Amino acid sequence: MSDFLLQLGQNAQARRVIKALGLPVPIPQSLARARGPWEERPLADRTIVLGGLGTGRMAAPLARMLAEAGADPVVIGDGAALAAFQAPGEAFGRPARAAQLGELPADKVHGVVFDASELAEPAALRALYEHFHALAPKLAANGRAVVIGRPTATARGAVEAATRAALEGFVRSLAKELGKRGATAQLLVVDDGAEDRAAGVLRFVLSPRSAFVTAQPIHVSLTAAGKAVTGGVRSLEGKVALVTGAARGIGEATAQLLSAEGAHVVCLDRPDDDALVSKVARDLGGSVLLVDITAADAPAKIAAELKQRHGGVDIVVHNAGVTRDKTIGNMSAEQWEQAVDINLGAVTRITTALLGGVLRDGGRIVCLSSVAGIAGNVGQTNYAASKSGIIGYVEKLAPELAPRGITVNAIAPGFIETRLTAAIPVMIREAGRRLSALGQGGLPQDVGEAICFLSQPAAVGVTGNTLRVCGGALIGA
Amino acid sequence: MSTRRAVIVGGARTPFVRAFAEFLKLDTIALGCAAVRGLIERQNLSHKDLDAIVWGGVILPGLSPNVGREIALDLRLPASVEGMTVTRACASGLQAITTAAAAIERGDADVIIAGGSDSTSNAEIKLPQKVVHAAAPLAFGKATPGDVLGLLAQMMPITEVLPRMPKIAERSTGQVMGEAAEEMARRNEIPRAAQDELAARSHHRAAAAIASGRLAGEVVPVKTGDGKWVHGDTIVRGDTSVEKLAKLRPVFAKDGTLTAGNSTPLTDGASAVLLMSEDKAKALGYTPLARLASWSYVGVDPGDQLLMGPAIAMPKALDRAGKTLGEIDLVDIHEAFAAQVLCVLKMLGSTAFARARLGRDAAVGEVDPARLNVHGGSIAFGHPFGATGARMVTTMANELAATGKRTALLGICAAGGLGAAAVLERV
Repeated sequence: MSDFLLQLGQNAQARRVIKALGLPVPIPQSLARARGPWEERPLADRTIVLGGLGTGRMAAPLARMLAEAGADPVVIGDGAALAAFQAPGEAFGRPARAAQLGELPADKVHGVVFDASELAEPAALRALYEHFHALAPKLAANGRAVVIGRPTATARGAVEAATRAALEGFVRSLAKELGKRGATAQLLVVDDGAEDRAAGVLRFVLSPRSAFVTAQPIHVSLTAAGKAVTGGVRSLEGKVALVTGAARGIGEATAQLLSAEGAHVVCLDRPDDDALVSKVARDLGGSVLLVDITAADAPAKIAAELKQRHGGVDIVVHNAGVTRDKTIGNMSAEQWEQAVDINLGAVTRITTALLGGVLRDGGRIVCLSSVAGIAGNVGQTNYAASKSGIIGYVEKLAPELAPRGITVNAIAPGFIETRLTAAIPVMIREAGRRLSALGQGGLPQDVGEAICFLSQPAAVGVTGNTLRVCGGALIGA
Repeated sequence: MSTRRAVIVGGARTPFVRAFAEFLKLDTIALGCAAVRGLIERQNLSHKDLDAIVWGGVILPGLSPNVGREIALDLRLPASVEGMTVTRACASGLQAITTAAAAIERGDADVIIAGGSDSTSNAEIKLPQKVVHAAAPLAFGKATPGDVLGLLAQMMPITEVLPRMPKIAERSTGQVMGEAAEEMARRNEIPRAAQDELAARSHHRAAAAIASGRLAGEVVPVKTGDGKWVHGDTIVRGDTSVEKLAKLRPVFAKDGTLTAGNSTPLTDGASAVLLMSEDKAKALGYTPLARLASWSYVGVDPGDQLLMGPAIAMPKALDRAGKTLGEIDLVDIHEAFAAQVLCVLKMLGSTAFARARLGRDAAVGEVDPARLNVHGGSIAFGHPFGATGARMVTTMANELAATGKRTALLGICAAGGLGAAAVLERV
């Protein structure tokens, strides 16, 4: 599981030798990750440079979020955009500074944000260029770039739609350029009126908790009922979370993170994995549920257990999954059945059972998809079918459950350092790691952080989305 | 609800002197003895009427941390005078007083002396835990030559086993308090000039209070180890000026604004307050000065703005006393740093702060400099950590009694992101 190049890169001398000799070795930047549960001020002392803030509605919620999260905001342009920052700056001792592009020191910029939500024609995109042309080279290692835009669907004409759509290509390319430095780029597509909800999402993508998420458009909407919440610590206190496949890897990491935010986690896995899943549950004071999710009585059993022992469930993480790789001609019907049924069939059956009065209002459903489901892979027709099926499932289910305040999202991991990927032949494994913007594999924790974020009240604006946690994988991105 | 009321009868303190000077040979217990002895004599209190001593301290002696009890024993007070010691960083002294008031109002006691002391000069230099653990077999058993060699082998590298100088740094963040105050000054945009002005005012007012004899009743002379007497505070500089202070160099950051002149110096000293139940005071023939209408202790994130606690604690104490800042006659804020006082004042005056941090629509209010620290503060007198609370309570209680004013609001910031406040009212 160890990544040789990443270790090499942490040795300053080795880095120097490679650079001096001009060796064509791409040394990835070791990623800064968060430790422990969500902090009150996840952006403490980070300099965030903001541009494009005019009379837009983004400025106020953004200013409030940054001050509360402990960031030091720098606003590009004249004093007008500073107005929104005045009161929050005073309340939290984080006065915003006005600055001109070009006068900012390199390596002191931890985040660059551009509000492109008011841009209406292609020529206006020049401001986007100016901002990142000046600031992207100054972004510190593990920095964050974020562009805020609007959906094309609500544009007042094709020209505005084109302008809005341009942002996605920009961000995807920027992500590839920044990846070497461990820095990421995201696009927040914010519906009219969902600005308050976007602040909470921005807090996540600016924080170290989004270390392996990059080149990702995130749609922030008013779809799901509920109140905009920006942050808060221990935000899952009093919540019950079900995590399937919790014995190891991503499931285990997710269970730990949800528990750290205060949730009671019901750790579900196969009866064969009793010892492993029991240890996970014991370490975090959760419960164990041993069920084979493909069994005919599994949905009813899970629903009954959650209802009787926990009074219901608030967070459902469909993480359990398998690969049964074979090219389509060589694939047995059983291999097809297993992959499609465990990864997709069981997810739909269990969700349906939980929707019968077990999943509470304001709940969260997170389903594990995969970049394979987006891009496809040789030998994975069954797996990729199940994983792209998940994407369709959450897209349709999200609006259905929105009136109850329940959000439904998918997570699509890329190359994650787990037991599964450790078994891949070395050359293919290396390709999987390096062919991404960040040039390395992610950790189960990275996927867990994204799931944990989507499970929080602050993610009420995100539903029907598929969030890639793939380090900007070349395939599938 | 209990109807018993605790009242403040009087207070006394030692002179406050710069650390490593006149009081070098007096540890915190000896300083505490001097203040308590002085208070008992001045108040003409019969030893047998005293129930307990509640003491506050920050740098506690490792082998006898219950300073309160040691004072009672050293002063040969009756064995029945029980003692306890509380610690809440720089709010320890106020904590001792509110603990005593609560005990009296609950009916646990009728007469308590509460106060605090600290001797920075006698801070213990601590051996690293690595040495303690390694030396344990030698200290508690029969050591073989092999054990000794083994011990020596564990002592490398030498830098890890050298004794560490005590430092006023936050355990959780490692930040020295002056650095934290410097950061607060920067973030709240407090200019150097305003800090120097506040510092000069503190010295001028303290010097005036001393010159007028106003403090004579509060300070008792102390005999030092070598037989000399110290009669008055030694840190107050009545001849300082904004111009003189402006020449000092910043000490916590290169381009900073905090100097030795607008920060509080390390100080040795002790102070004590005599509290009684109202009925007992009447029975013994004492005239009470004031009582505590309310108090409040709060915590904020030490990694954010370490010393902003009073900006949250003071409005809470006001609410509990059923008062607004406008109804308060006197405000006394512990001056850890001029910058920290100015930050707290700015927060109290800010509507944005009130809305975001206190959940109320209007600012707590502006504090008129004429009502603030009327006889100077910690910058002028110095700040023996545990002693400051009782100094402030004594001076404010006397001020209310002397002027006929009704109320005083106290605010103290403390390490660990703590804030303390209390409302005194004349009785």
